[in-house]
Amino acid sequence: MKIRVKVNGHLFESDVEPRTLLVYYLRDELKLTGAHVGCDTTSCGACTVLFDGKAVKSCTVLAVQANGREVLTVEALDQEGQMHPLQTAFWEDHALQCGYCTPGMLMASYALLQKNPMPTEEEIREGLSGNICRCTGYMNIVKAVQSASRKMANETQESLEEVATSGTSTE
Amino acid sequence: MVNFSYSSNLQGSFERPDGVDKVTANLKFLTDLSFPNMLYGKILRSVYPHAKIISISAKNAEELPGVRAVITSKDVPGLNRFGLIFPDQPVLCEDRVRYVGDAVAAVAAETEEIAEKALQLIEVEYEPLPVIDDPEKALLPSAPQLHPDGNILHQASYQKGNVEEAFQTCDFIVEETYELPRQMHAYMETEGGVIVPEKDGRITVYAGTQHGYKDRFQLARILDIPESKIRVVSSPMGGSFGGKDELNIQPYGALLAIKTGCPVKIHQSRRESVRSGLKRHPMKITMKTGASRSGKILAHQVRIIADTGAYATLGPAVLDFAVEHAAGPYIIRNVHVEGVSVYTNNGVAGEFRGFGGNQVTFALEGQMDRLAAKLGICPMELRKRNLRKADDPGPVGQEIAPTDGAAQVLKAISQSLLLNNKEKREESTSQWKKTGIGVAIAMHGGGLGFGRLDPAGGRISLNEEGKIEISFGFEEFGQGLLSVIEQLAIKEIGCSSNDIKITIGDTDCVPSSGSSTASRGTSMVWHALQRMKGPFKKRLLEKASQCTGVPVDQLYLGPSGIWSCESKTEPLITYQQIAYETKDDPIQIETEFHFPTTPHSIPGGHYLYSFAACAARVEVDVLTGIVRVKNLEQSVAAGPVIYPTGYLGQIEGGSVMALGYTLLEEALMEKGKYVTENFDSYLIPTINDIPLSMNITAIEDLYEGDEYGPRGVGEIGTVAVAPAIVKAIYDAIGLWVTKLPVSREEIVKAVNQREMKEWLTTKL
Repeated sequence: MKIRVKVNGHLFESDVEPRTLLVYYLRDELKLTGAHVGCDTTSCGACTVLFDGKAVKSCTVLAVQANGREVLTVEALDQEGQMHPLQTAFWEDHALQCGYCTPGMLMASYALLQKNPMPTEEEIREGLSGNICRCTGYMNIVKAVQSASRKMANETQESLEEVATSGTSTE
Repeated sequence: MVNFSYSSNLQGSFERPDGVDKVTANLKFLTDLSFPNMLYGKILRSVYPHAKIISISAKNAEELPGVRAVITSKDVPGLNRFGLIFPDQPVLCEDRVRYVGDAVAAVAAETEEIAEKALQLIEVEYEPLPVIDDPEKALLPSAPQLHPDGNILHQASYQKGNVEEAFQTCDFIVEETYELPRQMHAYMETEGGVIVPEKDGRITVYAGTQHGYKDRFQLARILDIPESKIRVVSSPMGGSFGGKDELNIQPYGALLAIKTGCPVKIHQSRRESVRSGLKRHPMKITMKTGASRSGKILAHQVRIIADTGAYATLGPAVLDFAVEHAAGPYIIRNVHVEGVSVYTNNGVAGEFRGFGGNQVTFALEGQMDRLAAKLGICPMELRKRNLRKADDPGPVGQEIAPTDGAAQVLKAISQSLLLNNKEKREESTSQWKKTGIGVAIAMHGGGLGFGRLDPAGGRISLNEEGKIEISFGFEEFGQGLLSVIEQLAIKEIGCSSNDIKITIGDTDCVPSSGSSTASRGTSMVWHALQRMKGPFKKRLLEKASQCTGVPVDQLYLGPSGIWSCESKTEPLITYQQIAYETKDDPIQIETEFHFPTTPHSIPGGHYLYSFAACAARVEVDVLTGIVRVKNLEQSVAAGPVIYPTGYLGQIEGGSVMALGYTLLEEALMEKGKYVTENFDSYLIPTINDIPLSMNITAIEDLYEGDEYGPRGVGEIGTVAVAPAIVKAIYDAIGLWVTKLPVSREEIVKAVNQREMKEWLTTKL
């Protein structure tokens, strides 16, 4: 079946088997191997990507369902060589060990912060409860999401202040 | 709102070198790789836990368009067996299958779907045989024999004094049988990789393992080709925890790649991984422990029966470890331990973080708590009265490196926040929820032990680019080996992280270091650098002196190059310049040595030990039986900390894995078949199951004169958790749990045996 899907801002037109799962389309067709398959029962979340802005487990979405939709994967989180605050925080706070769950964890965290920029610890736990990490014990993952959220809030504040300052100077 | 309290003496750290590539997905796992003309491999495994193979017909599969090769036992040119201690597991079964993970055929095809379809077309005629699904049944004289030498894989024992006589003199005796489940490693990346035939006639095996050289050795034996014809690239890996030390998909990928001349990728699904992968040994442990009224333990009798499944792998060593640690850190005059590891038609059990220590420590610490309750003394006090002193021999009477770690961790945990919070009872969030606190301690040997091949080694060189290249045959599966190497190199050599290149995980360019197992990585990297740093620095300084005319004693290694006492802003000569000057005779130092062992000839007996104490606070819902671990603290004595965040990560991650072992995880088998086939039924802790706070303290002091440096902490954080949680459950509701994972039904049943009113009115 022919599909047109926007992945990480680029439009792809592909001919896929109707049974192809989105995760295999991303990994095998587009060579975007950040989304990993840890279970295929929607239990582990290693394959989490954003689907029209919403976190989904790409092992439970058919590639054909992505027709006309927008998909965002971990490969597009960093912009122009600048890591996203979540990526920096996961690295600095040691919120990863083997790294296999990390792309999914990052995308689930990204979706969470989009919806709720300043989540409480409880909300972070709720938001990431569909993603399994076998290595870290999760403590640092909570910390990383908190520090990214603070950093993003500060950045927003700074840019608002910048706008305000530049606004004053032109007056 | 919940709060994380986070207090630790392990603050301040460095980011891991592989971190950026992991958060950006620039890092490719070996199962992410693909190659031109790559085929997909699939393995056909037995449908029966025990059966005779009457015939195998691959004709229909071979004729399926897109299928490029089908292999059976006839296609194995060398030894059709593998196994880390002795090879008893068929690569491809000839005439008999002994468990549902046994491979009977494998296929390479142009797509994964075709390979899958081809498996269905392979006709295997079986004659089912009686299934042994219980190790005790396997020991009955009437049981069918699974191997030529019978159903006993290994027996081990330890005896001192006379327990029978000593029990006569005891005032109190506690006897209990503990049952431990089959835990799955559940590494997030299932077994897989790509095997590539190279133009020069060699093959490259891109597949995760904990010991690249051992894989190469085993593969050479199976393929009947020299080891030099095989290159094993084995890092990075998406977790292992002991589970990938043994061969998994490599032989099938290699046989298919050689037969087809094409790269072959095999990546097991989770279901295939559950079916064929290793697990932690289920054990049934009976302990009889007696003490005097004053709290002196006089006799300790232990019987261990381990279900090793269909094949040996590291089963014998796991049992030896359990027997060795059966009396743990306690000095008991009369001890008798007997262990037997038994073949069954269940899943194969092998190496798993903790290596038999988790099972036996659960039982031992359970005995301590039950005995303390019977004696009416504080369980901490009972432990203290019987605890080893620094110069005492090891648990099987062997000479060990003196250590007071046991007393240190017990003292540290007694000062923990959790044990000093007097208001714990009032913290219950509902009248139906009861809280309790438990404490347990553990002693854990590092390295493989006496009589085992346990070589280590490393290499340091100044390479052509002027980088200080440090090479080890260890693997990175998340534990933070790269960070440990980097941090130690900076400290021991004096250079900066930019000056270092680390090479691991490729048999074509690393020295032999032994396996990344048994908490030996950090320890062996440290030992290797101690041996290599002197000669390496000496050669660099001599060369620098020769080039600059400045005497050696005024030079030292620093960031970017060699500095003199005078140089303030930049090195006198850079590493690049020295590399250029030494291009005809590159500076390279290599070392080989053995993991420190006890001089006493006790097979598997250890010399270096680490210790942990764990305190857990739980909340038990008496209506549902749900146990939640609210807080967890661990004190760890394992020598100096090299990489603080990595150390914390090991203990926190290990704690949560052990929490799963205690409350959730069991790879359940019925009549030799897995009932829990995937993560939808095999439950591992999520972020919602973890404690609200975890406080970890590290005791870094080594005993006076101890020159063995930092010990690894990959395992120690997993050992004391289960007994601490189970004691906390007793503290909350008065139920002694003997079987893991803790059953909610058992809790509800125990609760119902008392009047509900009583639960509401008493504070137990």
